[in-house]
Amino acid sequence: MSTNDPNKVWPTGLTLSEAEEVHSYLIDGTRVFGVIALIAHILVAVSTPWLG
Amino acid sequence: MVDIKAFSIRKITAFGLTYLPFADAATEAVPLSRLLRLSLFQVTVGMALVLMIGTLNRVMIVELGVPAALVGGMLALPLVFAPFRALIGFKSDNFKSALGLRRLPFIFKGTILQFGGFAIMPFALLVLSGFGKAAQAPHWIGQVAAALSFLLVGAGIHTVQTVGLALATDLVEEKDQPKVVGLMYVSLLAGMIVSALAYGALLEHYTPLRLIQVIQGSAVTTVVLNFYAMWKQEARNRVRGNAKRGPDEKFGQAWAKLSERPGIIRLLAVIALGTAGFGMADVLMEPFGGQVLAMTVAQTTRLTIYLAFGNLLGFALASRVLSRGALPLNVAIYGAMIGVPALAFFVVSAHLLSVLVLTLATLAAGFGSGLFGHGTLTATMRSAPREQIGLSLGAWGAVQATAAGVGFAMGGVMRDIVLSRMAVGGSPAEAYTPVFLLEVGLLVLALLLALPMFGRKVAAPEEPKTAQDGFAESNAS
Repeated sequence: MSTNDPNKVWPTGLTLSEAEEVHSYLIDGTRVFGVIALIAHILVAVSTPWLG
Repeated sequence: MVDIKAFSIRKITAFGLTYLPFADAATEAVPLSRLLRLSLFQVTVGMALVLMIGTLNRVMIVELGVPAALVGGMLALPLVFAPFRALIGFKSDNFKSALGLRRLPFIFKGTILQFGGFAIMPFALLVLSGFGKAAQAPHWIGQVAAALSFLLVGAGIHTVQTVGLALATDLVEEKDQPKVVGLMYVSLLAGMIVSALAYGALLEHYTPLRLIQVIQGSAVTTVVLNFYAMWKQEARNRVRGNAKRGPDEKFGQAWAKLSERPGIIRLLAVIALGTAGFGMADVLMEPFGGQVLAMTVAQTTRLTIYLAFGNLLGFALASRVLSRGALPLNVAIYGAMIGVPALAFFVVSAHLLSVLVLTLATLAAGFGSGLFGHGTLTATMRSAPREQIGLSLGAWGAVQATAAGVGFAMGGVMRDIVLSRMAVGGSPAEAYTPVFLLEVGLLVLALLLALPMFGRKVAAPEEPKTAQDGFAESNAS
């Protein structure tokens, strides 16, 4: 494995498209978690309002 | 500077190999411990099923005071997704990934959905029941939120189970598949038993806070177990990742290709009939024991344990004979053959008023259903070519989950009809007899469909394909 392979993203050894794919899972997960957290907060606020 | 760079690359690469969720280059034989770890995803599926069908079914009606019809509707929602299992399996077969992964991304997404559903479920249920200030809020908020949470969990279960089974099939050679199927069934059963006991103990003294803790605890457990299960199970595959793909295969084309294989449709029909027949018996067994034979709650609960024990015996025997070369469909046929008299003896026990006969019949029904389930799943695994494993297991799951759900619902409806007929006046034994005869009829139909295939392989592949192909592929990368 050459250390200066232009296709590899330093320092992981993944190619650019592979790195982007790993990143896409992270983004997906974060988005879903964000939406879930939002819904959970709305539901809690409906049953036990903590503002006002 | 160059030295530092080379040094850090070496370090980080070593770090990556240890801490990245990809398997090392695929080895010849996957050790049993790794398969055991993979089977943990079935534990979370079993946990989710018990929580929704068993625990929440009761909690929503008794503690939260939600109308039973609404509860039934909510619990049926996950079934809506069952037919999509075939599509999920197909997508995972053809997933485009630079890393060459096919199964891991789906298990990951399924786990996230399952987690998300559980995360909002307790609050959704509390709002649905009008807890606190929620009584003043519009009703649709609670209903939509509860429906969403059940849909999310359902979609998660279907995805995780379908793709998880496909991954397990990918990992082993054909001769080891019965072992894996047995392992998967036993894990599902173990997950259901352990979580039923745990939920029962945890929710003995119900408080809203306890409900939140229990369901969110399930969410965390799901994520932990599923991540542990999928860790380092699927190898990266550069060949598959870099493969230039032609135009996408459509689902219809893939399905046509699979269903052209002789016997597949027939096998799926057998699975549907048999699963529905055995499933209905599961629901009716306890009320039957209580009403007809005047058994106590403790005694009827013991019936469930006998059923599970029978199941285990069936899985064990099926794994054993199948890994010695028996044909999976034959094993399934024997299972249904045991099931028919077992269910018939339910009726006999009503006339003899014998708890012993009912217990033995339950044990035999469990044994038969274990053989049937194991045999049909193994037959499905072996019926598809390697590149269509996801699709065929998806089809299996779609048929099996739908039939089990429909059987469960029909069992419940019949129980209510029986109850209302008893209220009018009539002996409970008479009320239950036609129901059990219907179940026997379903199994007999399954047998009639399956018997012509006795002693034959379902859709035997033209050339023997083994896991070696997959290994050679990933080793080449």
